[in-house]
Amino acid sequence: MTLTREAIVNQLENIVGAERVITDEQVLKENSHDRYKKFETICGIYSTPIPAAVVKLKNTKQVSDVLKFLNENKINTVAKTGGTATEGGLETIVENSVVLDGSGMNKIIKVDKTNMLVTAQCGVNLGELEDQLREQGFTTGHSPQSKPLAHMGGLVATRSIGQFSTLYGGIEDMVSGLEAVFPNGEITRIKNVPRRSCGPDIRHVIIGNEGALCYVTEVTVKIFKYFPENNQLQAWSLDNMATGFEILREVMVDGYRPSMARVYDAEDGVQHSFDQFAPDKCVLMFLAEGNKNIADATAKGIAEIVQKYNECQPIESKIIENWFNHLNWGPEKIAEEREMIRKNHHIGFTTEVSGNWDCINTIYENVIQRIRNDFPHMDDITMLGGHSSHSYQTGTNMYFVYDYDIVDCKPEEEITKYHIALNALVVEETLKAGGSMVHHHGIGKYRTDWTKEEHGSAYYILKGLKDHFDPNGIMNIGTIYPVE
Amino acid sequence: MKAVVCFKVIPDYSRLSGEDWIWDERNYVDIGFVRRIFNCFDESALEMLLKLSQNPEIDSDIEIKALTIDDEKSELFLKHLIAVGYDAVRIQPDKTIDFRFNPLAVSNLLAGYIKKTDQQLVLLGQQGGEGDNRQTGMLVAERLGWPFISEVTEIKWSETKKYLTVTSRIDGNTLVQSIKLPIVLSIGQSIESSHLRIPSLKQKLAAKKKKITTLTSLDLGIGADIGFKNDKTLIHLQRPESNASCVFLENENLQELARSLYNDYIKERL
Repeated sequence: MTLTREAIVNQLENIVGAERVITDEQVLKENSHDRYKKFETICGIYSTPIPAAVVKLKNTKQVSDVLKFLNENKINTVAKTGGTATEGGLETIVENSVVLDGSGMNKIIKVDKTNMLVTAQCGVNLGELEDQLREQGFTTGHSPQSKPLAHMGGLVATRSIGQFSTLYGGIEDMVSGLEAVFPNGEITRIKNVPRRSCGPDIRHVIIGNEGALCYVTEVTVKIFKYFPENNQLQAWSLDNMATGFEILREVMVDGYRPSMARVYDAEDGVQHSFDQFAPDKCVLMFLAEGNKNIADATAKGIAEIVQKYNECQPIESKIIENWFNHLNWGPEKIAEEREMIRKNHHIGFTTEVSGNWDCINTIYENVIQRIRNDFPHMDDITMLGGHSSHSYQTGTNMYFVYDYDIVDCKPEEEITKYHIALNALVVEETLKAGGSMVHHHGIGKYRTDWTKEEHGSAYYILKGLKDHFDPNGIMNIGTIYPVE
Repeated sequence: MKAVVCFKVIPDYSRLSGEDWIWDERNYVDIGFVRRIFNCFDESALEMLLKLSQNPEIDSDIEIKALTIDDEKSELFLKHLIAVGYDAVRIQPDKTIDFRFNPLAVSNLLAGYIKKTDQQLVLLGQQGGEGDNRQTGMLVAERLGWPFISEVTEIKWSETKKYLTVTSRIDGNTLVQSIKLPIVLSIGQSIESSHLRIPSLKQKLAAKKKKITTLTSLDLGIGADIGFKNDKTLIHLQRPESNASCVFLENENLQELARSLYNDYIKERL
């Protein structure tokens, strides 16, 4: 028998105490969205079903007890910590969903300086963790733009990546061990060891599950020595993205590991004011960091590579340093963005994809061309460009960026008229060229139409995980897995 | 009718830290590595005049110009203004003249252009981020012999279009006046026009092909040797003292903590 909204709330209060079950209407509304529907949210429109309650979790035992109850009663649940998701993963698309908020589980459990590990509960803010580590001469190496707001649980659950990933890796390279709770209440801990050959690496069942399989309650990640005094930032202007990709490839294939390796196209560069220093040019930049010997060798080696390309002209590193120091999104920037959107009905989004070296320029060119040719509301577009910001031995990512005026549509129609349509063009062209449709935001709820195409025959494995761990289908319905 | 906004592009001071303020023996601070932005009051003035000129309810025939005194680096900003609907004009500054803290020289050039081109409505931001002089608008009006209104927040045409309805702030109150042209308006903090609109990709591409009018002081009949004398001399720069303080509120009870924060610290500032 399906429980009523009131019965769900009553039962949750019995499990965790009434003070931890939030039913305030405004809180519930705000917990029905994430940043995907930011225009609706700013306009005060909530077209997604409002959850029955938000549960402020205290500890792993409560997570287990609550999940067990929800599973037994087949109630959809959405896992949440920092709330910085951008792809609809936090939307409560089913009536009477329950949002499990782990932001109160915010203790840094242990900094292990011998084994170079830090263990934190899911609600620990990455910015605070990083500040504390840096005071002690360490860093997590993880620095997404959302660092001031994002929490460790969400970062792991969405398989996030940071601005220094080319050296430190994505979160999947940083996670040593985990604690997670499955819908039947089972608490699982994966131990911290440097490596093992004991069957498949089960961390990857949890990392990137987006709350569709389990709830991440505790994370242990690697820490690194922090040497900011050795940082060397280098930047050049260049004529086209193809050369930029070629240089990125050469740097990576030659074995250099700058912490940051980026190339911006001219249009994307404008929104970062790069056009003031390199008009109508693409901009290429690298940050060499770490131990002085390594940082020096990395900077020198990269400069030698770039100097072979006549079209590259150096840009003063202080320009890029000043820009980079203001790149992160804290609460004040979010508030400013909200105000601008509300007032001007002008909004910007991104779609991030990846591809091997042999197709990334094709993806870049085809996506830009396809949008210019096929998007029916091009007159409303104020910016269309992109950059690559995470490189690997085998390829790189492309971050497509598009801004537009919202013209002649209701707030709730905005995502259909613009964002979903633009997203689709990026995804289609990327898959057609052999790339991956999502690089680091997670699939969320708006790229699930292509999940099967993305994974191909390997979807069998992905589906098997869902069937086994969440047979009742209560974990974040519509996320990763398409609603059948 | 001819109208002009006199604007200035300034460094984004919010992106400078204390360590960046290093000046040489000539009191020049090298901040060329920081992006530049429209001075915020000028940005309001630019948006305000666009709204006035593009009001679909009134059949307006305003020729709008955006004017700055700056070098070639300002052309990116002028192209942006062409894209949103302005004709762009740049006065090339004489390199031998220090325009910092020198509203006398700036107003002389602006008034020269306004007279030469028969403008009737002039908008300027009330102050720039560099000198914060708050004098240029008044000096322009004085040189032209025109009336002047400060701290303007909104402008509209009257129904007959014979008058301009100007809303401004005075001593904490709002003043609405119907005025005849010509006039100089100094634009203050405007909620209605806080940001300049963003052009579409197509408008930006079209603007690239259009020309920016470039003038020198001689084109305006102002000799480089006259009219730029400053009434102030920059002797030295000094960092203002900052007296920021911090109070830690402590209370186990979150409700009491929030109440104390609101009653003792926030309420009086609202």
